[in-house]
Amino acid sequence: MELQINGKPVQVDADPAMPLLWVLRDLLNMTGTKFGCGVAVCGACTVRVDGQAVRSCVTPAATLVGKRIQTIEALGTPGKPHALQLAWIVEQVPQCGYCQSGMLMAAAALLEKTPKPTDADIDAAMTNICRCGTYQRIRVAIKRAAGFPPGGPVKKRA
Amino acid sequence: MKRRTWLFSAAGATGALIVGWGLLPPRSRTGSGRIWPPAVGEVALNGWIKILADGAVVLAMPRSEMGQGVFTALPMLVAEELDVALDRVYIAQAGADTIFGNVAMLVANLPFHPQALEQRPAVVRAGEWVVSKVARELGINATGGSSSVADAWTALRLAAATARASLLGAASLQWRLPVAELTVNDGVVSHPSGKSAHYGELARFAAATPPGTVTLKERKDWKVIGQSAPRRDIPAKVNGTARFGLDVRLPGMLYAAIRLCPMLGGSPGALNANAALAMPGVERLVRLPAYAGSSAGFAVVGKSWWQAQQAALAVPVDWHQRPAGALDSHRIERELEAALQSEEGFTFHSQGEIDQAETHASRQLEAVYRAPYLAHAALEPMNCTAQVKGGKVFLWVPTQVPQMGAAIAARIAGVGVEDVSVTVTLLGGGFGRRLEVDYVAQAVRVAMDCGGRPVQLIWSREEDMTHDFYRPMHVAVLRATVDAQGQWSSLRIKSAGDAISPRWMERGIPLLAGPVDLPDKTTVGGLFDLPYGFASQHMSHVATRKGVPVGFWRSVGHSHNAFFSESFMDELAFETRQDPLALRRQLLKDQPRYLAVLDLAASQAGWGGELPAGRARGIALHESFGSIVAQVAEVSLLDGRIRVHRVVCAIDCGTVVNPGIVAQQMEGSVVFALTAALYGKVDIHAGVVQQKNFPDYPMLLLAQTPVVATHIVPSTRPPGGVGEPGVPPLAPAVANALFALTAKRLRALPLVL
Repeated sequence: MELQINGKPVQVDADPAMPLLWVLRDLLNMTGTKFGCGVAVCGACTVRVDGQAVRSCVTPAATLVGKRIQTIEALGTPGKPHALQLAWIVEQVPQCGYCQSGMLMAAAALLEKTPKPTDADIDAAMTNICRCGTYQRIRVAIKRAAGFPPGGPVKKRA
Repeated sequence: MKRRTWLFSAAGATGALIVGWGLLPPRSRTGSGRIWPPAVGEVALNGWIKILADGAVVLAMPRSEMGQGVFTALPMLVAEELDVALDRVYIAQAGADTIFGNVAMLVANLPFHPQALEQRPAVVRAGEWVVSKVARELGINATGGSSSVADAWTALRLAAATARASLLGAASLQWRLPVAELTVNDGVVSHPSGKSAHYGELARFAAATPPGTVTLKERKDWKVIGQSAPRRDIPAKVNGTARFGLDVRLPGMLYAAIRLCPMLGGSPGALNANAALAMPGVERLVRLPAYAGSSAGFAVVGKSWWQAQQAALAVPVDWHQRPAGALDSHRIERELEAALQSEEGFTFHSQGEIDQAETHASRQLEAVYRAPYLAHAALEPMNCTAQVKGGKVFLWVPTQVPQMGAAIAARIAGVGVEDVSVTVTLLGGGFGRRLEVDYVAQAVRVAMDCGGRPVQLIWSREEDMTHDFYRPMHVAVLRATVDAQGQWSSLRIKSAGDAISPRWMERGIPLLAGPVDLPDKTTVGGLFDLPYGFASQHMSHVATRKGVPVGFWRSVGHSHNAFFSESFMDELAFETRQDPLALRRQLLKDQPRYLAVLDLAASQAGWGGELPAGRARGIALHESFGSIVAQVAEVSLLDGRIRVHRVVCAIDCGTVVNPGIVAQQMEGSVVFALTAALYGKVDIHAGVVQQKNFPDYPMLLLAQTPVVATHIVPSTRPPGGVGEPGVPPLAPAVANALFALTAKRLRALPLVL
């Protein structure tokens, strides 16, 4: 099958049932997308398909033919990082870092649809698991990337 | 057995195993440059420090980065003492030399009461000396016990300062100018006369120059220590290039999936692998023996992990229960309760006349507290890549204990430990789970059957959850009495549960495992060493062996003991109609360090101030791993569910190397601890762990995360721990707030109203 990954056509010889996650990781050696639970709960495997956040561990690659797949490897470039990547660095978000590819892809999908997200929007969109507990900084970094004035208090819905 | 008696017997038993050990000279931890592999254009000045041709510095990094920031904190110590920019300090994985052993971690496990550690009588000094010496000889390189900075604090700064002294000495000899007239700025040595050279130009000569007198920088001269330097590992963690264990890719690499017996300690009987082996991409099936009392099972090797996993799931298996009978967590809880009644346990602390105080008490309060088994659930599933080829073993593994990995690999492959090379990758979370090497043993066993090809063995989340080394279940009874003056004056605590250290030693360092279990401080930490001024105290622990594999879980015994003791403190306050903060302050009047932390948290949280309707605050204070943390939690109920809005943390962790990392760790600890407090529970029925994956072992998500504020108490003491001390006080702070809100006292974890 032919997949569109990060703007390029990629030929893949895979079982049609094989989830995109394993096509990326084991067949294409694109390891930025992570395996965490295998049941679409933790979100470590989040990629974007036609802009939407999709959990690749349960999405057979064959169902994605003809769609635009974007992975963490193409969220930004070394010369032009995505606003979220810059915000993640400024706010010093990652700890172990394992969940952060998925977090960034989920956040990118959120900002594309909702460029100025409220706290409730962030709560609803960011359902990935971070075992290190970097959530507070993720919230602040998303707001920074969205262009909200930095340095303000962390506001939460009550 | 009295404490002193067992201490010396422990030291004797350990010492006897290391023949002639008492005659060895005290070991310097600076080490020799000869332990680095030789490289052209680079000069190693000692075991820790190497200088590159352009003057940049390479630090031998003996600790694993699992999110706690050690790849930034240790280079900061080097940048400080060597006077180089932090971004000019690179890291290379340290070898297996004993200078890299974690001395602080082992010394911290001596079960001395904090009072004794302050007063330092002969028994404490002797104990620390003996254990330091043993630790240095063994050189166990482990990342755990929140000890990385504490351990490196003197050893690494000294190594860097020694290197700097040799570099200055080299310039002085070459230029025939006094050292006192030389200055260093960002790795460039210069003299007012105009002479200057960077470290790279001086290194070769410096390697042959004795350092002379080495002094560490004075605190007032620090430029790097104490600053929130950005973490060095973060850029690679936002673009997918950071390499975890799971991301190792080698030519010709195969993948292995495993299935272990779902009944803990059990094993597979007949395996019918024919259908599985006929599936596409599948290469072979390898039986896996039980690792150290855990479950036996099998691995399936394939061209991709998904194919291997599909095949493993397709194998019909006749699983056998362990010979000693099925484990059951409900039954174990009853057994622990019974053990509290029937067994005396080991007395870790005793002061005053507790029997007398209880007999003459005007009032008494007693309560039983409980904590369940817990899984670690690091987000990167357990994995190890192994290659067995030409009498050598190569490992690529996210581990907190590389040498223990090498040791088990050598044992399984039948090679010498010097024939095992270990590459430590980034760890996608550790939390104590990666102090175990079961997955290393499995990967090596599988690789031995793969004809020299490398194999990446990965556990599914279900295997991870159901075959952990769990935080052990504990039950404790706490009793306090009020004296004739109306003061709380006695505290008796007795707890029961499995001790962790003896089991871990057995698995990983059999050399240190004696014929009988020694009392395990890690299990009772935070119960026997409370700071409160009860005139009479007694703390004992009944160490059980229930058969469930148990291991170190972030903050270990403190994780449940703080819940027991700090919830009980709140009960005492309510019983005598006192404010929980006021009672603690009263019982801490001789503990200024604790008091300062408590007061800082209380004032920053506005303790006693107005709150919106339906909200309440709870407070808790706890010392662990050399640091004191107080937390104030603000809670409400939302549709009957517990909602934590805000947590204010105050911490005294001694000298702070990087306050930004301290704040990160406090925020992360609150989330980790709140996850356990609200949801954490592993149940075992008929030998089978019931929680299989995140849907039934839920994690706190962003939407439920409270706002966390961190306040640091300034200190000039040596650094304490940071990775774990934020965990213990959270559960009691939340439970105490819930009591303030609902008048319902929750004495079991997880908290269920």
